[in-house]
Amino acid sequence: MTDTNGDTPDDHAPVLVVKNLTTTFATPRGPLTAVDDVSFTLRRGTALGIVGESGSGKSVTARSIMRLLPKSNVTTSGEVSINGIDMMALSPKELRAMWGPEVAMVFQDPLGSLNPVMRIGDQVAEGLRIHHKVSRKEARATALQLLRSVGIPSPQTRLDEYPHQLSGGMRQRVVIAIALSCGPKLLIADEPTTALDVTVQAQILDLLSDQQSERHMPLVLITHDLGVVAGRTQEVIVMYAGRIMERARTPVLFRDMKMPYTEALFRSIPKVEYPSHTKLAIIPGRPPTMVEPIRGCRFAPRCRYAQPRCLEEEPELTPAVDRDHVYRCFYPVGTPEGEQALEINRSNGRLTPEGELTGVS
Amino acid sequence: MAGTGKAHLRDPERTLLRAEDLVVEFPIGSTGAKVHAVSGISIDLVEGETLGLVGESGCGKSTTGKAIMAIPKPTSGSIKLDQVELTSLDDEALRRTRPVLQMIFQDPISALNPRRTVRDIIAEPLVVWWEEEEGRPATSVLFERYGRLFQRVAAIITKPLRYLMPLAFAALVLWILSEAVEQRAWEGALGWTQLPAQIIGFPVLAALVAIGAVLLAMGLLWLGLAFIVPFGVVSKVLGNVSPAVGLGAAAFATATSVFMVWRTWNSFAGRPAWVLRFHLIAIAAIVVIWFVSSLLKPSRAGASGIAAALLAVVVLQAFYLAGLDGVPKLGVFVLSAVIDVVLFRLVRKQAALRADELRARAEPKVREMLETVGINPDTALDRKPYEFSGGQAQRLSIARALILDPKVIICDEPVSALDVSVQAQILNLLEEMKARYGLTLVFIAHDLAVVKNVSDRVAVMYLGKICEVARPDELFANPAHPYSQLLLSAIPHPDPLIEAHVTQVAADLPSPVDPPSGCRFRTRCPLAQERCASEEPEIREVAPEQFVACHFPLVGEAAQ
Repeated sequence: MTDTNGDTPDDHAPVLVVKNLTTTFATPRGPLTAVDDVSFTLRRGTALGIVGESGSGKSVTARSIMRLLPKSNVTTSGEVSINGIDMMALSPKELRAMWGPEVAMVFQDPLGSLNPVMRIGDQVAEGLRIHHKVSRKEARATALQLLRSVGIPSPQTRLDEYPHQLSGGMRQRVVIAIALSCGPKLLIADEPTTALDVTVQAQILDLLSDQQSERHMPLVLITHDLGVVAGRTQEVIVMYAGRIMERARTPVLFRDMKMPYTEALFRSIPKVEYPSHTKLAIIPGRPPTMVEPIRGCRFAPRCRYAQPRCLEEEPELTPAVDRDHVYRCFYPVGTPEGEQALEINRSNGRLTPEGELTGVS
Repeated sequence: MAGTGKAHLRDPERTLLRAEDLVVEFPIGSTGAKVHAVSGISIDLVEGETLGLVGESGCGKSTTGKAIMAIPKPTSGSIKLDQVELTSLDDEALRRTRPVLQMIFQDPISALNPRRTVRDIIAEPLVVWWEEEEGRPATSVLFERYGRLFQRVAAIITKPLRYLMPLAFAALVLWILSEAVEQRAWEGALGWTQLPAQIIGFPVLAALVAIGAVLLAMGLLWLGLAFIVPFGVVSKVLGNVSPAVGLGAAAFATATSVFMVWRTWNSFAGRPAWVLRFHLIAIAAIVVIWFVSSLLKPSRAGASGIAAALLAVVVLQAFYLAGLDGVPKLGVFVLSAVIDVVLFRLVRKQAALRADELRARAEPKVREMLETVGINPDTALDRKPYEFSGGQAQRLSIARALILDPKVIICDEPVSALDVSVQAQILNLLEEMKARYGLTLVFIAHDLAVVKNVSDRVAVMYLGKICEVARPDELFANPAHPYSQLLLSAIPHPDPLIEAHVTQVAADLPSPVDPPSGCRFRTRCPLAQERCASEEPEIREVAPEQFVACHFPLVGEAAQ
């Protein structure tokens, strides 16, 4: 973890390039396309949030990038390159050399991702011993330092404890320490705080942001909660049914969201400012199964703005005013077209007078 | 924070559910240490109200919810539901309160039986209570009870066999040995007749005796263990023996054993009797010892007594069968066993038919419930829980909780495992159900925004104590307790302009085994003073309807 800054980092060179990534699972009911033609790039030092409901393909995207998906029953196509290395072309042995020093991942369930019968110190040191070939003593010293840097109190005693002796938040800190141990050039965090309390969630997210800015390390933060990405990422991708629906710089997205799906997600969050017993806006229905080919916009059946055209034809990713802001909609939120679409839906009874969708459950 | 005190409780006449000074402690092994999970919490609910219980993991909010359901019963304190004291009810009476008091769990998938269809899962509470009301077929009750008993007997019967086998083996070896010595059988069999018996015979004999002795010692050791193990059990449970049921059966079993030994003692005359007698004495002794020990286990006294008697009878029968002319006797035995099985099957069939009938009768209600919670019964009824998404499964749990028309539902983190968009659906559904069925809810969650949305009153908990009780709007506008403020600051805001950083949360929750003195929050509190360590704050009203347990609240005349 010492030679990370060996060559002068070019801040504008992309660390992660994903191009036309498509991942398909073979299921008894037919091929299921979990990730469909996803492309994005990630620059050094930025944090990217990927947001979507369960089944939107955000975790599969992360696993496809890491090449963590099983070989059988899964086909992945497209390009993924991390710091110029083509992930798709790597052999299992080369992949193992990538995981840790080049790219690391933090998973949702900290207890499930730690070995229950191995001491914490050994687990943190394992990557160092393998990748950096350091001695046991050195690795232990570095592990101690890592535990301290992720904010674990009395790290010296924790080194010799087992995962079950720690609280959920502390376990997730250990998982982060393991991920950071080899000084990865890219960190992917897949719902790192979903299993945790609000206070602990705040701590873990702060920790990730701090480490990210300290190490100048790009971070991919996957979550279903828009609140989580709001203060801690520079860019957000909103995914739905395997597709990128909207991508923008974070402040732009929250100020000027164009995609009805993003708006629907945003509206469904209970907000502290609302008086209690406020009826929450929901997204009725469920995401498509993605086994059958889908015509038109994938969100159309659940969309308040949807028009007949949306069911026929899938919109392309369209650029908005701001650079880097793209979305996939014919009737974007906050535009005359969008307002008109809402008006039409209201008058033909697809929406209630309050603006909620009817007839979908 | 620690607030003990009941300033926030309302008139007992008006409250539907009222818990006072609830204490739940879990002992840690035999060390004498205890986890103080809940330490003197008082909460009350007026009919139709939703009480939000909020706090971090380990603050005791779920334990409080479960203590209200009496799973397990609280260590001390009182819980009154509709003026009925729940803590003083026995198990059966408590079970009868279940239709009134229902629960929804955090993880919907694991709260639903994976091997049953939605139809059965939702109908089950109704079927159970209908059976209770109308009584069940007497034969099925009988067979269920004795079916369970037979299972237990089978399990117990194998236990003495474990002690007997080595003993029997040792005795067998000794017997063969003694026969061999008597007949000098090895001389002919092994073809060593040419050699002097004194030279070859002696070491062989010595070796055989040595092996026999070792085996006998093993057998005796096993027998000894058979004595010691049950007596260890006896001494442990001697405090709560229920002698009335068992002693009669004990006498019966002892008598049977003695009779058995006496009858068979003489029937083996002419054979190397000491071996067989040794067997018999051993069997009889073990049966008696094992029987008495099983008798002294309090909960199973009656069943085990009967099991012991049955075993004695079976052993006796076996001896008779062995002694008598085999084939006809065996035939009778097999026939009776077959009849037993057929009879048992028939009765079980009858019980199953009855359950099917009740389920069929429950179906309209099940359909109605599913429709109410927004699930299409036509497609859902014959599916199993894993075929549903988390949100839908949570809807099923809600339907199951509602089908008995309860008054109070305890929702233990019902949306914590769900996506934001699904969470909104479930929260709206709960609100709808509450309005429709006039429910009273205890809503446990760690997310303040969620709690605020559904609650009429919020109790903030920390390490087994209540910090603050207030109406949500007040609590969120002006938190009076430093901990409430900390929780509020941790909520992720879906607005990048709001600084997301939380202050003062670095410290972990102190251990509930050894909670801090005075106010339990003082170790993490930015405002803590000396007084906080020495004196536990009482709950008091700092603003109208806002109660706080803090020496230095952020609201009211003492605010700094």
